[in-house]
Amino acid sequence: MHKHIVNLLILISVIVVVAASARYLARQDTFFQYGHYRGASVAQIAEKLPKHQGSATCEQCHKEIYGEWVSGIHRKATKDNAIRGVVIKSGPGCEVCHTPAGNHPSKEAMPLSTEDQVTTLTHKWENHPINAADRNLMRDPQDMRILCTNCHEKIPGRPLRGKVAGEGVPVQAVTDVVGIHGVPQVVIEGHGGDELCTTCHNPHSPRIVFASVPRPPSDPKTGKLAAVSAPKPGDANAGKAVAANCAACHGANGMSVNPEWPNLAGQHTGYLVASLEAFKSGARKNDMMSPMAANLSEADMRNVAAYFAAASCKSSDSDKAKADLGKTRAQAAGCAACHSSGGLNKAGIAGVSGSQAWPNLAGQSAQYLTVALKAFKDGSRNHAVMSSVAKTLGDADIENLSAFYAGASCK
Amino acid sequence: MNQLSSEEKMTTQDINTEKEASHISRRSFLGMLGKGAACAGAAVGAGGALASAGGGAANALGGVGPTYQQEPEQYAEARKNPPKIPGYNWTEHKWAFGVDSNRCIGCLRCVEACKMENSVQMDRNHTRTWVERYVYLEGSDHAHVDSIHDLKNVMPGSKETRFVFDNRYKNAKVTKAFFVPKLCNQCEKPSCVQVCPTGATYKTPDGPVLIDTKYCIGCQYCVQACPYGARSLNHVRGTAEKCNWCYHRITKGLNPACVEVCPTGTRIFGDRMDPESPISQFLRNNRVNVLKPDMGNMPNVFYAGIDKEVI
Repeated sequence: MHKHIVNLLILISVIVVVAASARYLARQDTFFQYGHYRGASVAQIAEKLPKHQGSATCEQCHKEIYGEWVSGIHRKATKDNAIRGVVIKSGPGCEVCHTPAGNHPSKEAMPLSTEDQVTTLTHKWENHPINAADRNLMRDPQDMRILCTNCHEKIPGRPLRGKVAGEGVPVQAVTDVVGIHGVPQVVIEGHGGDELCTTCHNPHSPRIVFASVPRPPSDPKTGKLAAVSAPKPGDANAGKAVAANCAACHGANGMSVNPEWPNLAGQHTGYLVASLEAFKSGARKNDMMSPMAANLSEADMRNVAAYFAAASCKSSDSDKAKADLGKTRAQAAGCAACHSSGGLNKAGIAGVSGSQAWPNLAGQSAQYLTVALKAFKDGSRNHAVMSSVAKTLGDADIENLSAFYAGASCK
Repeated sequence: MNQLSSEEKMTTQDINTEKEASHISRRSFLGMLGKGAACAGAAVGAGGALASAGGGAANALGGVGPTYQQEPEQYAEARKNPPKIPGYNWTEHKWAFGVDSNRCIGCLRCVEACKMENSVQMDRNHTRTWVERYVYLEGSDHAHVDSIHDLKNVMPGSKETRFVFDNRYKNAKVTKAFFVPKLCNQCEKPSCVQVCPTGATYKTPDGPVLIDTKYCIGCQYCVQACPYGARSLNHVRGTAEKCNWCYHRITKGLNPACVEVCPTGTRIFGDRMDPESPISQFLRNNRVNVLKPDMGNMPNVFYAGIDKEVI
């Protein structure tokens, strides 16, 4: 036989031997076990640790917030199960906004799954952000307005429930139509302006319930809740001494001597304290009030607020024709959503705010209310919601609204 | 087609053969070639039909027979020695997925949840599940379609990690619009499994089509084979990427991450072998269809409320 043929045969047999041994030695035992694949890979894929832990996990430590969520509209959002005959989870849970819990509260990175350990020659190892030590799990919601508008901004194609808030009028509550799937939606420009949603809405239970105190104010840039110590109730007796300084303008019993200055009698303590703090910090400026507030301690503010809140208020007489016009305008402008104890949907006491954070309008003089609204309108006083509302009001509207609220019963 | 075209050639040549007798052999040769090609085509077609008849069809509800491309003895092994997953036997379940498009609000929480749960690359070009928006403008008879793959739907300043549908039709006259979530259909007859050269992707008896990332060589043949565009290449791992219904979660009795976070109940998941599971109820109470039924892949994701333009 020729030598080159022998060489060729040797080469072929070497290849056959290598291929055959590779076939039996390098093969995974479990290949072909269940099919044309590695049987062991099934359990490896199933081994990975879940990162979404479910809202019930959060309850173990965050009982209070979990309670808010369970009883709120976000939990009940999709309870039309019976109609469609489909059992579904109700509403957005904790991890929808807060991102998956992973191994929270541990600070360690989660162990890598089999899948995550795969690297190839051409693809160098990179950490997925979720697996890094400073992983993206359990983020603090950074900008709560973006989070809320993910679901609640009005865009074509998004199934709607109830009316659109903020379309045409500045603030308008959303009525809930039970049984139709969809979400309440807002037109941002007309609803809250630049204000964060969380100023008025508790994200864990966003329907405004006027009996409850709203959440503490949040930082507009980071969206984080401002640190507030638990408010201690003020001492009205101690406040009487402080109130002596106020009496020259606001009267000893909280009824001001000049109708262009606000009456303090019967006002919410929360609003009085917040106003004094705003004057002290410079967030709100007034030639007379700023130096007055600068000298007050926190305890002084709480005490004097308690003193005036306990004082008896008195409604003033007002032009009946204007007041009637104002009543209609108040409904259209959405004033009642905050400044009526029942909100927009339920008839309540007009001018008596349901929340400690918002001022009562009943018991004020019409002149003061006019001054305040005009200040919001021309920008000399600023509040995200009130400034945008006031800009939609004409001079006649302002007079009518002032007359309506000045004449409303403050009891 | 081959046969037809060669016959045409023969007829044109018939006219010429009167002059040149030597062309007869070429004519018969072409005829043989045509017949041969037709036979070969028929054989391939029949073979393919036989191959696809070999699995899947008998197994619509699981636990009945071998899955796609699984030999009977391999199926017997799957029943006898199932993979060691604590508290889970893969022959006792048949998972399926429902999408009620009427409910979808396009909030994209599912997309972000999926990326976090499964360590999918965070940018807009890599997704296991995504949501499409179909918008019909006034006077137009076709839909404008966009999804998070469009740069406009990336949340500004988020470095392509967070997504929100841009309000681009705010001032347009929209006659109809809706959102459609998309994901891997976990077909009964998956094209991707058929083309995989290394056995890195396979159909399990309980429903999902899985990817063994250790055996995946990143050739992307499966990416091209999938009629639904559900597969992509993970450029960090260099392996194929697709939804597996969070196999690590469903084997632990949990819902897939997207179903877990969906705030409206658009996504429905469950076991078809349990008549009271959400998916069984969904299929009973809704008239559903699947995407591209004519492809013959027999998807396991069922849609309610989608329009004819959704494919």
